[in-house]
Amino acid sequence: MEIYVLVKQVPDPEAMVKVKTDSELEIENKYFTNFFDEVAIEAALRLKEKFGGKVTVLTVDNRRVDALRRGISMGADDALQFSDPALEGSDPFSIAKVLATYLKDKPFDLILAGRQAMDDDAGIVGPSVAELLGIPHVNSIIGLEIEDPKKGAKVTREVEGGKETLSCPLPALFTCQKGLYTPRIPQVMNVMKAMKAQIKKVDLSAIGLTTTDVGPHSAKIKLNRYFPPPKRPPVRIIKDDFPENVKVLVKLLREEAKVI
Amino acid sequence: MALDFTFTEEQEFFRQTIRDTVNRMIMPRVKELDEKEEFPWDLWKEFASLGYLGLRHEEKYGGMGTDTITQMIFYEELARGSCGFFMAVTMQILMGTYFIGRFGNEEIKQRILVPAIKGEKIGTICFTEDQSGSDLGGTRTLATKVDGGWRITGRKQWITNGPIADFATVMATIDTKLGLKGLNFFLVERKSENRDGFVSGQRLHKLGSRCSVTGELVFDNVFVPDENFLGEEIGKGVQYAGEILNEVRVMTGMSALAIAKEAMEDARQYANNRIAFGNPISKYQLIREKFAKFWAWYEASRTFLYRCAWMIQNKIPCINECMLAKYHATEMCMYAVEEAMRIYGGNAFCTEYPVQRFWRDAKFLLYGGGTHEVLCDYLGRVFCKD
Amino acid sequence: MSNEIWVLAEHKDGKVKKITYELLSASAQFSKKTGGQVATILLGNNLQEAVKSLMTFADKIFLIEDPALTFYTSDAYLPSIASLINEHRPSILLGGATSTGKDLFPRLAMHLRTGYVPDCTDLSMGEDGRLTAIRPIYGGKVFAEISFSEDRPQMATVRNNTFIVDQELNKSAQVISVPFQTNHSLLKKKVLGMEKVGGEKLDISEADIVVAGGRGIKSAENFKILEELADVLNASVGTTRAVVDEGWRDQKDQIGKSGKNISAKLYMAFGISGAIHHVLGIGTCKTVVAVDTDPNALIFNYADYGIVGDLFQVVPALTEEFKKVLAEGA
Repeated sequence: MEIYVLVKQVPDPEAMVKVKTDSELEIENKYFTNFFDEVAIEAALRLKEKFGGKVTVLTVDNRRVDALRRGISMGADDALQFSDPALEGSDPFSIAKVLATYLKDKPFDLILAGRQAMDDDAGIVGPSVAELLGIPHVNSIIGLEIEDPKKGAKVTREVEGGKETLSCPLPALFTCQKGLYTPRIPQVMNVMKAMKAQIKKVDLSAIGLTTTDVGPHSAKIKLNRYFPPPKRPPVRIIKDDFPENVKVLVKLLREEAKVI
Repeated sequence: MALDFTFTEEQEFFRQTIRDTVNRMIMPRVKELDEKEEFPWDLWKEFASLGYLGLRHEEKYGGMGTDTITQMIFYEELARGSCGFFMAVTMQILMGTYFIGRFGNEEIKQRILVPAIKGEKIGTICFTEDQSGSDLGGTRTLATKVDGGWRITGRKQWITNGPIADFATVMATIDTKLGLKGLNFFLVERKSENRDGFVSGQRLHKLGSRCSVTGELVFDNVFVPDENFLGEEIGKGVQYAGEILNEVRVMTGMSALAIAKEAMEDARQYANNRIAFGNPISKYQLIREKFAKFWAWYEASRTFLYRCAWMIQNKIPCINECMLAKYHATEMCMYAVEEAMRIYGGNAFCTEYPVQRFWRDAKFLLYGGGTHEVLCDYLGRVFCKD
Repeated sequence: MSNEIWVLAEHKDGKVKKITYELLSASAQFSKKTGGQVATILLGNNLQEAVKSLMTFADKIFLIEDPALTFYTSDAYLPSIASLINEHRPSILLGGATSTGKDLFPRLAMHLRTGYVPDCTDLSMGEDGRLTAIRPIYGGKVFAEISFSEDRPQMATVRNNTFIVDQELNKSAQVISVPFQTNHSLLKKKVLGMEKVGGEKLDISEADIVVAGGRGIKSAENFKILEELADVLNASVGTTRAVVDEGWRDQKDQIGKSGKNISAKLYMAFGISGAIHHVLGIGTCKTVVAVDTDPNALIFNYADYGIVGDLFQVVPALTEEFKKVLAEGA
């Protein structure tokens, strides 16, 4: 199978992220490959192990290519970085445009992505790429079975209060949720390969886009400002002995917080 | 631009990969490993399957052939996890296989090194005896030349991986009267039905690093063939010991960095959270000073250690520098774990909190690669041009 | 282009979901500024009951019924909604940040070449009809205020429990039946089945009250005491990543960064240390209670009320106490 995986390097969940100014964040320099993207890479590699073929990881990022190296270290065959100064300030719809423009002439059976990137937490790029390519998509899958790529896939996705199983023809795009697979820990040989890999760069002109197709002026949504999350007042520890403390808590929830 | 402190993008990626591997494979089990005090065979096999045991060996034997700086990055990240597991792994990667990789013939490398890199055979190195440790000249284990090989007699103590070792690189003297000049290294395997070899003596129970197994090895007139003599010529053992000890000391320093940082980051979280007199205790100057002091010493230590790694990599003589850096890093770490304990107050004394484990684990740093008393005596003597 | 505000209605087994009423209530407020009508789009099969319950919440109901719409798929939903929007040109289209909303809206926005802001925790509207959206990013470490380009409709999905349902809207909707136009051969995806998990309990992302247990619960079996507490409060049971990774609870119950964000009115954490992964998922809960044996547990930094104590003692006592006071109240 010919599989593409959309990946992104994001701040580690432990990293400090603070508002510096209205339009600027201070982000601690601790990055890792978006966890859901690793799940997607794992899914792609398992299909490759079953059916043969090729797994290519793609990222749209002017600076960080570690997610691509991560993909190679896990076992991906190829990696591509889309980078161009004009991409600065692009919204997710423009990112999707870049990816879809590159992919539209490529033969592929499947595109996989993470459920969302753990930075803007938006989950827009995956379904938008599918729309632009005119292929079906399913979000947030936790099960994936393919017996014969020509006959399509059986996928399970999480819905409120249950799990829904769908049949879907290929090619398609699926975004992957935790629980689908546990991403493998890379073997040292692949780590060395990833360290030495020359990452191929693709700019806008190479895929026939111009600077007006992307960037802040073509963005559909605009950031007005960042602000810190509202702070909770300090905790009120109920110091009475058991079981009096339980009675006090219930009373507070009813009469003060009024949530019961 | 002769002076450059940056890591390459590739090295940063390597660090991130090891960090992630440690976070996923080792971190969730650190407490359990410490409490069980057993060698974790399942973790060993899982870890060995990734291939890192060949970190510094040639690719044709299944190794990675990395440079010294890459190796030190690996050690620094690995040591964040279980200290005991770190000792078992570094024994296998560095000390336990160093002389075999350097001096073993092809047959020995195929038979010992290849399975060692796969984690299928466990190796160790034997320096310490009951009457000698940092004082290598006092080594009494005797190697006597016989027809076609050597006979080795003696007892080695404090042997990391000793109780489970399949093979050992043994430091022995050809004549106790020669002191340091009599020292040589020999490959000895565990006694089996068809091979003469060492047997295990008593196992030790340790304060920290508890999942690495440590004990005595007994050599009772063991015969080894000539090819098991590991060296270019007789009498050069002390020179080789100096060379491997450079790497061992910087590696030990790396684990000091990791333990100190983990302990202090843990203490920072505690201090930011623990309320006393109406404020998190990290708001108080006496607590803040502990962090500031640690930070200053830590950064100095780390820079010094990576400079030593760079010197080893570029084959610049650096015996004194490596000793100094190991000494500095270890003392920094002692400060860090001690102050982390104090920041935790009475809670430090409970095994529910991890801080006591850092404190216990760190203590081994004082002895590995030479006690500080011996190191300092030597370094002071060099400084005074005595 | 009209100044109408549209809401995509969501329903399950014929019952309209709370988030739909929330969005219609908020839309009614917004529409006072621009004078536009509030409409809802309802897709499915056999929707009489749903239509009835929406009558007083909207000015218009666009109703599309077809057996092919029994379960949501983007193939079936998107063309019908897109053609309605192209015909009527509403100013705003809102939906829940649900499994359906998050699947459909990004693709629909791309299809319509308009802006979309996902997973909002607040919305406001100016006199000029411009929507401003608030949403947490970086897992809730930072919030962003976002506005839209000139393209219409302005699209957003909103988390459960963001707005208060106004039962007194007293509208009287005009029901507009729209034929389902899609060529059935274009329906590529087929829902093969739905496995219900968690019985009749609401999903943790939808529930008003969530009670959750962490590693401190010690075993899968011990979750029974939380289930009992949840039954009394009509709450749902959530958990942490560590517990899911241990295999004690299902992935769907995981709160936090690699799980779900919840916006419950009341969230109660038992035996949860408060790792950053977890607390990022409860940032928008209104009241948070924490119970843990360790007085220095981080969870207390994110709580309104705390009890330092043994959950195995506290939880059963809480269950009994709630039973008692709820019986008195009734």
